[in-house]
Amino acid sequence: MRLRIAIGALALVGAGIAAYLTVTKLSHVSPVCPTGGCATVERSKYAELAGIPVAMFGLLAYLGVFTSALRREELAVAAGAAIAVAGVAYGAYLLVVQLAVIEAVCTWCVASDVVVVLLAVLAVARIRQSPS
Amino acid sequence: MKKKTIYILAFSGAAILAAVLIGGTVLLTRDSSKPALEGGVTIQGAAAINNLLAGIPQQGNALGKPTAPVTLVEYADLQCPYCARVAVGDFPALVRDYVRTGRVRVIFNGLSFVGPDSLTALDTALAAGKQGRLWHVVQLLYANQGTENTGWVTEDLLRSVGKAVPGLDVDSMLAGRSATDVASARAAAQQSANTAGVRGTPTFAVGRTNGILSVVDTQSVRGAIDSALAG
Repeated sequence: MRLRIAIGALALVGAGIAAYLTVTKLSHVSPVCPTGGCATVERSKYAELAGIPVAMFGLLAYLGVFTSALRREELAVAAGAAIAVAGVAYGAYLLVVQLAVIEAVCTWCVASDVVVVLLAVLAVARIRQSPS
Repeated sequence: MKKKTIYILAFSGAAILAAVLIGGTVLLTRDSSKPALEGGVTIQGAAAINNLLAGIPQQGNALGKPTAPVTLVEYADLQCPYCARVAVGDFPALVRDYVRTGRVRVIFNGLSFVGPDSLTALDTALAAGKQGRLWHVVQLLYANQGTENTGWVTEDLLRSVGKAVPGLDVDSMLAGRSATDVASARAAAQQSANTAGVRGTPTFAVGRTNGILSVVDTQSVRGAIDSALAG
């Protein structure tokens, strides 16, 4: 139960970050950014996939993980972990792109990376806890 | 369902999702990450320039750390052949020796007295400055400079130059040229040139940051920087 609450809460935090980045991207507003790199990253070609903001995929993913935390079915447990682990992989890839290609780091993206890593750890722990 | 089955479902699902996302991103961003070839314009020198400037902070028309003890101001016209010679010849070593090491900050004060191509090129560079990429565009334009006032600064060239710059939103740069901040940045550079008594390009001025800068000739830039650093 505690794990499900933690996963749900973290997923909402991640969804908040992703929603903020989606709104700023769609409204062409520079996000508030302590490091100054957010706007550069958000304006780069890596911030969109087939015309859809990458942050919007993040938002859908976080909402997916949140929904999985609400449900007890084993399939939901597996799906939540699948989304979170894939999020870690994609976040790591985008972090490499920020450092090596765009040469600017978006603080909000890094914050989202931290959230998704924690989510992945908790989601896998939830599988371990599930009765077999 | 067995626990093992849940693990398999979770990790195979994660692998498929990650592969689709990363593969999709690589595929969809692939073509424009290659420097060159939009409208048949091939851009020279992009790899060397991107390598030279990689990781050095840029802010508007400034290259280098704001805390650098010495400031070098360059007054230049993007159509001026001597400016291009300096940009391609002496400038990379200056960047490596002084700017990358945090000792010198360089300011590009672009002028546009040679002709209409100068103005188009300068406004594009200033618009790129809003994305922290002015120096990439300046160096690429010098490396691909055409003959003065032949209309060589085409939209195709500018688009190709923009595409060769890592992390630059080309459409945003091109659209940003008509903004009032670009015109005011251009006017500020012209005002600074008038005050410094610039009569031709390139002209350099060197001095302690926030102190008085002295105009020096091109051959004396390195010596003037060393003196300013010592003082």
